[in-house]
Amino acid sequence: MKTVSYSLIRTIFALFCLVLLPSTLRAEEVREYIAISKEGSGRIAVVLDKIAAKGGKESEWAGSLDGTIQGGLDFTGLFNLMPAPLNIRSAQGGALNLGAIGSIGADVFVGGRVSAQNGNPALEMQVWDVTGKLLLSRKYGGQESALRDIGLRFCADLVELLTGKRSVFGTKIVFVSNRTGQKEVYLCDFDGSNIRQLTNTKSISLTPSVSSDGRFLAWTDFSSGRPDLYIRNLSTGSTVSVKKQGVCISPAWRPGTDECVTTLSHEGTQDLYLVKANGAVGRRLTSGHSIEVSATFSPDGSKMAFVSTREGPPQIFIQDLSTGAVRRLTYTGSYNTQPSWSPAGDKILYSSLQKNGEINIFAINTDGSGLLQLTSGSRNNEYPSWSPDGSMIVFSSTRDGSRKLYVMNADGTNQRPLLKMKGEQQQPSWSVRN
Amino acid sequence: MKYTLPGIIGAAMIILAGCSSKSAVSTSGEASDAGYAAGAGAGAPGAVTVENVPVDSAVAAPVLGDIFFDFDSSALSAEAQQQLKQNASWIEKNPQVSVTIQGHCDERGTDEYNMALGERRAVAARDYLTTIGVGDSRLSTISFGEEMPFDSGHNEEAWAKNRRDHFITK
Repeated sequence: MKTVSYSLIRTIFALFCLVLLPSTLRAEEVREYIAISKEGSGRIAVVLDKIAAKGGKESEWAGSLDGTIQGGLDFTGLFNLMPAPLNIRSAQGGALNLGAIGSIGADVFVGGRVSAQNGNPALEMQVWDVTGKLLLSRKYGGQESALRDIGLRFCADLVELLTGKRSVFGTKIVFVSNRTGQKEVYLCDFDGSNIRQLTNTKSISLTPSVSSDGRFLAWTDFSSGRPDLYIRNLSTGSTVSVKKQGVCISPAWRPGTDECVTTLSHEGTQDLYLVKANGAVGRRLTSGHSIEVSATFSPDGSKMAFVSTREGPPQIFIQDLSTGAVRRLTYTGSYNTQPSWSPAGDKILYSSLQKNGEINIFAINTDGSGLLQLTSGSRNNEYPSWSPDGSMIVFSSTRDGSRKLYVMNADGTNQRPLLKMKGEQQQPSWSVRN
Repeated sequence: MKYTLPGIIGAAMIILAGCSSKSAVSTSGEASDAGYAAGAGAGAPGAVTVENVPVDSAVAAPVLGDIFFDFDSSALSAEAQQQLKQNASWIEKNPQVSVTIQGHCDERGTDEYNMALGERRAVAARDYLTTIGVGDSRLSTISFGEEMPFDSGHNEEAWAKNRRDHFITK
């Protein structure tokens, strides 16, 4: 029985090799297929085979790539990764046995090999679905020092292939940590790796934000003895300061521009102003005697969501920047702050201080419908920020005692720590794409 | 930090001075009842010596008392206004001094909102002081939000101490 089915599949496989190998499936068909199969588990079931290699240096690369690819795909929370079953390849010739994949409930098979080409690693990857369609066959190359990037580049392609969306790979997160004893701004990769300290103010640094093109970093610190705004060009390293009487807090970059919005109070009231990357204070966007703080822009930059006390305790409002029209977004809860507008434009995250003393993260549609609580029963969960691809959320939480950074999927599932680092971490902003 | 240290030391010394003199007087009788006065080994049982200790005037200067606020509020309570009047009279008697008003918040609520709230607390005190006659050229304000709590505890007792304006003299 088994022999029959194996030989049958081998025959089918051979036929596919002959007929279909040069072609790849259109992305829409793949997504349709995956969308159907995802309805059950919520995750795409992937058989991830070990990268093949011929020993020596190549096997070292293969081991490293296995770790990078498995870690990367795991991090997205999109996949249910399974090791290849023993009967994945035929005894003779090593042909793929796609029937073995279907029999363990997987949707796709991922495998490949790495070899040395002119001394550098070349990774050849293939992705098949259970029906025997070749979804991807691609070669990734680079310097040996870029081995991790090579693996992550494949991960990015796989996510895009199977979900139709850009991936989280290559993005970065800025945040504040008191690791040195003082609060400084740090940067890390999407998965919490590669932590770098960006400021050395030896004071209190707060609310870092990086522009969508990754060129500018804005933050507030007390190095002058007062809370001033600083803007650094991350490629040249040059920094300008905005020193105004009063408070200056929570800058946020307007997508596609070189200007950010921040709260200033030099004119007597706490209002939101546009500030250019060169430090020039531009248009004042709000007026009145209430607190106006923590703005976040819609993806097209035409609107901002922000916190205001104009109707009592802090709530989230949305303002159209061209018409000035304002509407209140949140009505549930009496202390709602820290909005973050989704990259797709449809949802806004915010944090709410609840009657039980917890701070929890909520998502709401921009029309005020579809309120969803994403965290609960885990002390203070604050400062939510979308990944640039919209698939994940980074936030700070005191669930394990001191304040640390965590990530979760956009629907609130799969909450786990982002990184291990001394001291406290807070105010993460996930905004940079390479 | 360098601004608040003299203030904290000053406040601590005032509190300690108050505590020690009070307890010294009230425990003089109890000490012998409790039977451990002999441990002092000097003089008659229960004898207590009291003397005033002069304090360096540079440290003692911040006699300006803190004022406290309700949660998510920058409104001045009757007690806060009373303290501000005392502070105003000291400021008037010391015309060479300028005063920085620090606004602070408890750890609840969110960091950047509390930066704004801290400023409103500092400005509320400044406006009150100028209304009752202190020249505003002698007053400046700064918000530290929830960044520099007086008490690092995580309960209402600590939070109540942290929702404050603190006055620094120069």
